Amino acid sequence: MESLNALFSVGFATALSLSNLLWALLGCSLGTAIGVLPGIGPAATVALLLPLTAGVEPTGALIMLAGVYYGAMFGGSTTSILLNTPGEAGSIISALEGNKMAHAGRGGAALSTAAIGSFVAGTIATVLLTLLAPVVADLALKLGPAENFAIMVLAFVAVSAVVGDMPEKGFVALFIGLALGMIGIEEQSGQARFTFGILELTDGIDIVVVAMGLFAVGETLYTATYENRIKSRLERITGSIWMSAGDWRRSWKPWLRGTLIGFPFGTIPAGGTEMPTFLSYSTEKKLASHPEEFGKGAIEGVAGPEAANNAAATGTLVPLLTLGIPTSATAAIMLSAFQQYNITPGPLLFDTNPELVWGLIASLYIGNVMLLVLNLPLVGIWVQLLRIPRPLLYGGIVVLATLGAYSLRQSWFDLLLLYMVGVLGFAMKRFEIPVVPLIVGLILGPMAEKHFRRAMTISQGDITTFFTRPGSLTILIIAGLLLVLPPLLKQWRALRRG
Amino acid sequence: MTHWPGRHQAYLAIGVIVLGLAMALQITQMPTGGGYARVGPNFFPGLIAAGLIIAGGALLLKSTRSLGHASPTDETGDEGVPPVPEAEWRGFALVSGTVLAHLALIGLIGFTLSAWLLCYGICRALDTPRRTLDLILSLGLALGLFHTFRALGVNLPAFIPGVL
Repeated sequence: MESLNALFSVGFATALSLSNLLWALLGCSLGTAIGVLPGIGPAATVALLLPLTAGVEPTGALIMLAGVYYGAMFGGSTTSILLNTPGEAGSIISALEGNKMAHAGRGGAALSTAAIGSFVAGTIATVLLTLLAPVVADLALKLGPAENFAIMVLAFVAVSAVVGDMPEKGFVALFIGLALGMIGIEEQSGQARFTFGILELTDGIDIVVVAMGLFAVGETLYTATYENRIKSRLERITGSIWMSAGDWRRSWKPWLRGTLIGFPFGTIPAGGTEMPTFLSYSTEKKLASHPEEFGKGAIEGVAGPEAANNAAATGTLVPLLTLGIPTSATAAIMLSAFQQYNITPGPLLFDTNPELVWGLIASLYIGNVMLLVLNLPLVGIWVQLLRIPRPLLYGGIVVLATLGAYSLRQSWFDLLLLYMVGVLGFAMKRFEIPVVPLIVGLILGPMAEKHFRRAMTISQGDITTFFTRPGSLTILIIAGLLLVLPPLLKQWRALRRG
Repeated sequence: MTHWPGRHQAYLAIGVIVLGLAMALQITQMPTGGGYARVGPNFFPGLIAAGLIIAGGALLLKSTRSLGHASPTDETGDEGVPPVPEAEWRGFALVSGTVLAHLALIGLIGFTLSAWLLCYGICRALDTPRRTLDLILSLGLALGLFHTFRALGVNLPAFIPGVL
């Protein structure tokens, strides 16, 4: 129970200071406000708001960004339910089922079950994070560079091969991300790589520029080219915002089941929130007493996946804080926020920076309560933001993105990079190539290289070190299975079908 | 004209392979010094270049597999190739032009004016029906951001220092 002790004596003491409470509130509010905007998922929200924290001290800044992350998750549900435009893969299900509920005049109940479910899941998942993180951090201390490299390989395979129906596309995205990550001065040798003599490239490509290029500029280019004529319909919240007794009865079990499905998925490198939400949806459909309602607006189909989505988002903080490994796009951007302050998340963080890490975890409990209040009684305010006409909305988003990119170094070169990544994002969206592997590859690539070289140095150039150490061998076997099994299963199923 | 469903995807795959080859070419021109235990600064990029070529090759293979059953239909393939919505390249060109104009102008006319142009340009690219209102709101947004960031200690280029 050491962790509970640390949470209360260090964590809440830090998070409950007036300034940190204000940062949390500001983060939750801004996160909800930007996250509610159609087409903007949590990763884009955190990237867009990252520049705002430039002048804030690290603990306050990270507390604010955690609030932004959570707020964007809550805000995203509102948009999915009322506008049917999911900002990220994890909200696709709530868009599917919740929008049907809203269409049938049950938007209030859908928003409530999403918000309360997110609160329940977020809180339980934060308890699990509190208990689990120090244990994982202790274990992580025992890992050598070979094991760390193997875990990163596992993360690469998982985000590329498991999510989406075509692993080839996932790997294309991953290797593009890894290639972008190689640009700049290599730390160990001081060798400039792929800089083409351009001075600005020697520092490497900033993940904020990439995230905003993909999500903001790429999205705008795509909308202007392909979706200009599509009109989306904003559902009105009719009836009560509160859930009836029947709604509560039908929601509480899906919340808990969603949490239990979502959290483990977040902690393992399996590409974030898409899979657990789909899994939760199919579980609820199987267990429902009225399965015929699914696809027409079943409250279980919103309650479960929303809980799973939030629990998974919290779960991603376990590998992020304990191993320094991001397993989702949002976690990757959070990692870059840590790096902005020269803080390296990992097992040592709990010893070197207890105020920061426990303060951050404590602020998650507080943020969840704030968000419940911000999103239930005040949901009407956020809905107003959905009325912003699309042209002005995208105009504003691109301005924010350029501002973020420019304020990094005050250089027009970053704006050019932003545009070029935007064109890349446009092409990826056109060909349905997932962006998460690119972002994870970009940020983890240089770290994987560092661990790889360290392991090779220790083994004096013997590459079999990755296969002779039981830990790294086991992880690499799991990665191999993830790569080989899905296509084999697909073939086997096709054979059985005839 | 007869198309095979994955035609565009095949071009993309070829592009990925070319990128991998270009990367490999760059690596051969890199000095190999600074390495230890057989791993120099060009080892890992080499793996990535190989990965790009293999992933691009796999995608190309999958795309061209549908070549066998080429049909004169449009490009709604079944090999994971998304159907092609009708593209309006005017929108693409306008967004691109506005973003590039913004980066060219920000140092000359300052953030507020160039962001005003950027925001309004995007509105026009997305066919706003309320041109005058969006023109005014774009200016409001640019001015608001300029002064918010000034208050936060982030100095943006200005046309008239401290004003816009």
